[in-house]
Amino acid sequence: MANNRDYNKVSVLIVGAGPAGLASAIQLKVLKPEIDVCVIDKAPGLGNHNLSGAVLEVEALHRLLDSAVPDWQDSEAAGDVLARKVHEDDVMFFVGKKLAFNIFFVIKLAKTLRLSVGQMIHKGDYIVSISKLTKWLGRLAKDLGAEVLTGFAAEDIILDVAQASSPWKHGQACPERSRGDGRATKAIGVKLVDQGLDKEGNKQPNFVEGEIINADFILLAEGCDGLLTEKFIEKAKLQRQSPQLYSVGVKELIEVSSEQYKKFGDTRVVHAMGYPLWTPVIGPGMFGGGIMYPADDEHIAVGVIVGADWKYCDFNPQDALTNFKNHRFVKKFIDGGTVVEAGAKMIPEGGYYAIPRDAETGSIGKGNVMILGDSAGFVNMLKIKGLHSAIDSGIQAAKAIAENLNNPEAAASRYTELIDQSNIAGEMASAKNFRQTVAKFGPLQGMPVSVLASLLPKFKTECDYEAMTIAPYRHKPNQEFDKDTFTAMAATEHREEQPSHLTILDSDICRTKCTPEFSSPCITFCPAGVYETVHDEVKPANPSNCLHCKTCQRKCPFDNIRWTVPEGGGGPRYKQM
Amino acid sequence: MSDYIVLVKQVPDVTQITDNAFDLETGTLIRSRLASVINELDSQALAFANQMRRDSGDKNGKIIALTMGPPMAEEVLRYGLSRCADTVVLLTDRTLAGADTVATANPLAFAVRKIVREILKADGDYYVVCGMQSVDGDTAQVPPQIAEELGLPCIAYVTKAEFKNKRFEFTRIISGGSQVVAARKLPAVITVAKYEYPVFATFAATRQASRMEIIRWGSDDIQATHIGVTGSKTTVIRVFPPGKSTRKCEQVGDAKALAGLLVDQFKSSGAEAGEDADTQTSRYTLPGRRASLFDRSFEGTKKENEDFEILAGKLRELGITEISRIDDANKEKILAAAGEYFHKKALEDMIDGLQLTEPSYEGEVWVVAEHSDGTIHPATCELIGKARALADSLETRVGVAVAGCEAEPMAKELIAAGADNIYIIEDKLLSVFDPTAHRKAIADAISTYWPQIVLYAATPQGRMLAPMVSYRVGCGLTADCTGLDIKDSSRKGQIGILLQTRPALGGNVMATICTKNSKAQMATARPGVMKRLPADESRTGKVIKHKVELSKDDVSLKIIKTELGTGEVNFGADVVVSGGKGMQSRDNYERLVSALCAGLSKKLDTQVERGASRAAVEQGFIERVHQVGQTGTSIGPKIYVALGISGAIQHMIGIANAETIVAVNSDPNAPIFKQCDYYIVGNVEDTVPQLVKALEVE
Repeated sequence: MANNRDYNKVSVLIVGAGPAGLASAIQLKVLKPEIDVCVIDKAPGLGNHNLSGAVLEVEALHRLLDSAVPDWQDSEAAGDVLARKVHEDDVMFFVGKKLAFNIFFVIKLAKTLRLSVGQMIHKGDYIVSISKLTKWLGRLAKDLGAEVLTGFAAEDIILDVAQASSPWKHGQACPERSRGDGRATKAIGVKLVDQGLDKEGNKQPNFVEGEIINADFILLAEGCDGLLTEKFIEKAKLQRQSPQLYSVGVKELIEVSSEQYKKFGDTRVVHAMGYPLWTPVIGPGMFGGGIMYPADDEHIAVGVIVGADWKYCDFNPQDALTNFKNHRFVKKFIDGGTVVEAGAKMIPEGGYYAIPRDAETGSIGKGNVMILGDSAGFVNMLKIKGLHSAIDSGIQAAKAIAENLNNPEAAASRYTELIDQSNIAGEMASAKNFRQTVAKFGPLQGMPVSVLASLLPKFKTECDYEAMTIAPYRHKPNQEFDKDTFTAMAATEHREEQPSHLTILDSDICRTKCTPEFSSPCITFCPAGVYETVHDEVKPANPSNCLHCKTCQRKCPFDNIRWTVPEGGGGPRYKQM
Repeated sequence: MSDYIVLVKQVPDVTQITDNAFDLETGTLIRSRLASVINELDSQALAFANQMRRDSGDKNGKIIALTMGPPMAEEVLRYGLSRCADTVVLLTDRTLAGADTVATANPLAFAVRKIVREILKADGDYYVVCGMQSVDGDTAQVPPQIAEELGLPCIAYVTKAEFKNKRFEFTRIISGGSQVVAARKLPAVITVAKYEYPVFATFAATRQASRMEIIRWGSDDIQATHIGVTGSKTTVIRVFPPGKSTRKCEQVGDAKALAGLLVDQFKSSGAEAGEDADTQTSRYTLPGRRASLFDRSFEGTKKENEDFEILAGKLRELGITEISRIDDANKEKILAAAGEYFHKKALEDMIDGLQLTEPSYEGEVWVVAEHSDGTIHPATCELIGKARALADSLETRVGVAVAGCEAEPMAKELIAAGADNIYIIEDKLLSVFDPTAHRKAIADAISTYWPQIVLYAATPQGRMLAPMVSYRVGCGLTADCTGLDIKDSSRKGQIGILLQTRPALGGNVMATICTKNSKAQMATARPGVMKRLPADESRTGKVIKHKVELSKDDVSLKIIKTELGTGEVNFGADVVVSGGKGMQSRDNYERLVSALCAGLSKKLDTQVERGASRAAVEQGFIERVHQVGQTGTSIGPKIYVALGISGAIQHMIGIANAETIVAVNSDPNAPIFKQCDYYIVGNVEDTVPQLVKALEVE
């Protein structure tokens, strides 16, 4: 093709077609229709890699769309995506396999007392499928003239290459030069992943070297634990005051009978604490809970979210899901139902202190690079929500760019100012210590303390992976979780003949430390059964099953696993998650 | 300098098919429930053309993607542009809709001509590259028919192209092996059966593609001769859900239980005779032979049968025994009594229909024989068995057309199988199968004797020859039939017509099709579906020699090398163990399949043969001669064990006659689980050793 060079240059490159990235694209096209905005995503299609509960606080979405599409509320798609407004809001506490207490009044009381925990109330919010939401936003962005290209996976972000340097060659490390003054870091673009390598990394006849896309502005909106985000944090020397903490969510969409669906209700959300994750005093003691949300066509979404700082080496979030589904309260709504879709994903829960910032200026990102949504960690753990902040951060990034078209390197600072002035900052601050207190003191002591957490000073927390112990999970189900069916329901697929995108850094550690001590937890906790012992060696034996949740690289007790991006178009194909 | 015209088609994504994608009443696909994608084999064809261009060393060769479809088919052209196509052409027009394969091939061929004339402006050094077949139609007819219309050689089922001595040599699949051939002259049509290196879209090309112009042509631009519904030569009468599989589809908990079942099944095998997959409840009788003049119980649809029954009842009540006595007054009476069932126009059509007693087609029922080195393909004898039944119903003879170098010695066996007349076309140029030469010979014989029905085996050869012959003689053709029945459609004035039933959309629906605007009705039928008759050596028949003028120019392909599988493969064995892509590697295949074969052979004290899916053969796990399925061999063992085989329809039709099918696959959604008797969800590497062990203890 003749004009390749031109097409590898864009004004604004947004990495990640999720709510944050697409909101940014939409807002930018409203503010500056003339600039070219390009969104890339590794998923095969829009919404395929998006998984969330989800309960959406719609204010930011309204703000975005009111400015972009005047009559959007009348559209069929809007009606489809925002079909369910929460009317019933149950917060349950499960004791053992059978008992359930509704503790909503406690939350309500907290709200009356103006305690921050009161934010957990969802009334007025919408129950949505983030896959559908994303698909819709993607279409709107395209209609407004943004380019939204799925199936393109970025593996690196390139900083500050001197214009005159020799062309970058395959096989070399990406060339970059830090100026050392810590101020003027500028990113010139991102590199896409090489395609057409075989398992051993040899070039096949269809090999295509990953292109470099040059951009004036780069928005990192990759979602939780973003590959480029984390690389950028390292390269640009951004810092988090305390390490990012994660939760792992596993979710199934279950087709139930009309009677069950009716009994559950079309506009009701259930959040459950307690069993099977937390039983005060006698254990287990994990942070998290279960969710039940209604979905289209008489489906109920059932999921469990577990703090990744669990300490049981034989624990698998899917086991908790099995237990949750078998709890009497849950079972009556889903018994005999058919799982039609399933998936897993991480949630960044570190909150305020885990937002990556420039050490000097405090900017969320640096220069012409901004970090959005879950990549930045904009999740309010008191609301258990981040979608609205993701969308809001997208709006703010668009504004920052629009104001600095001629001065890209000032964008990140302006973006941070706008974030600070927005609801995001206030929310993040009010929830700032919540998750850390639980992490530090455990659910029993931590939960009550957390009521006042925002008033406490920052204290040091460890990374999730450091929490692993040899203790067993006491509610381990008798039967091993059927991961094959789970991955099939996630419709995950990768081209088989490609290098493994999962790497065990040092297999000696597996053999001499991890397996003897913890019996290789990755084999157990990976929701897709990627890890297996092959000839006495723990290996990512089935990388093509991967759901891109990245739990492994955050939960390997020896921090010995790395996830990189496989060829574009691989991974799960969520449709209604 | 060669250019490449690649034909692409937009199809529903049947890999993502769900149960709610079908209207259960009508069996039709609810299109909005499935995404539209490029036909997988067409994307491989695109990649194949790209590789050919690269191998030829001529970077100036153009790749032009051509599709015919509704305006939204533009998406597959953008797909092409973002990968390797230079120019794309969308053939779209309302008048083109509703086309069968003839009315698809014809306008596409005219579009190819226009591309050559106006875009390539070249002297005819080009290849038309197509996917072997589409997942929705599954017919594999369009490419050979395009070749026929354009008068080009057609090389089907290609898996590899090598550029040698300034020309391409193609490796293609043939029954039981592979063959390396080259086209004697260009241009040529090739159909790609497998190419494993997809072209990846690049970011830049994708952005560029969205801005590039798509050339749009309508009917008026190409002036094709057969388009749309009116230009079609077949018509779909009925679409319905496939009958529920008679397989047990039982999930087995562990290898031990499965071992027990295998032994039990083997011991009790043969107890119940296999049913004919092609069931015709009662043999068709021509109207003139029926007990009552008003007996119309062989109508094509149930509704018609019922209507005629009601009419016959009313006529009886009125005491009418002759059609000529049905006057206007009687019609009024009938309408008064049966007006709730049909209106006046329908009644008149039916009364007109009652007057018809002669069949709509005349001539014999023919089978085109397939043979190599004097050995008749088993499918030919199966078809003769079917043709016998059809011919008896129609009170005509069974003819068999044999083209070859020395064909006469085969006549005896063909007669014993049930044929009356053997039409021999002998010529040295017919010694090996060459599509162009053979199609000329067969087409000439057909248009001399005009049989009313012509059947071909749906083997790689038959699926190549039949479309070319039918197109050449201007007849409709239905591919891969699993049911062939003679019926009437009296109201439409059709008596004794052939109803052709076939699976479509990857086996998710069945369609019944009949021929129109044709002098003969043609179909290819799946091997192993029809039943051959016991050979009757006492039968007599006639041998008729038919001479066709052939010259060297009629031979289109140069055969460079033929490799029929090395080693003997005994697919008559009682037990066949097959491995698929799920075996992961040649080593695994070798180790696991061999271990299970040995285990079963010892335990059951019988012969066990190794088989493979096409994917496994393509991966090089084992030689092609072991391939089971549509492009391999159709088999009917007592027990068939499928290891790591997903169960694509092309594989499943090859084992339709197996008594018991056992499957092991790690994908709980593998289609094979819905079409087998017993299965284990589990990976083969764990399950097979357990099974072997369990067999030892059992």
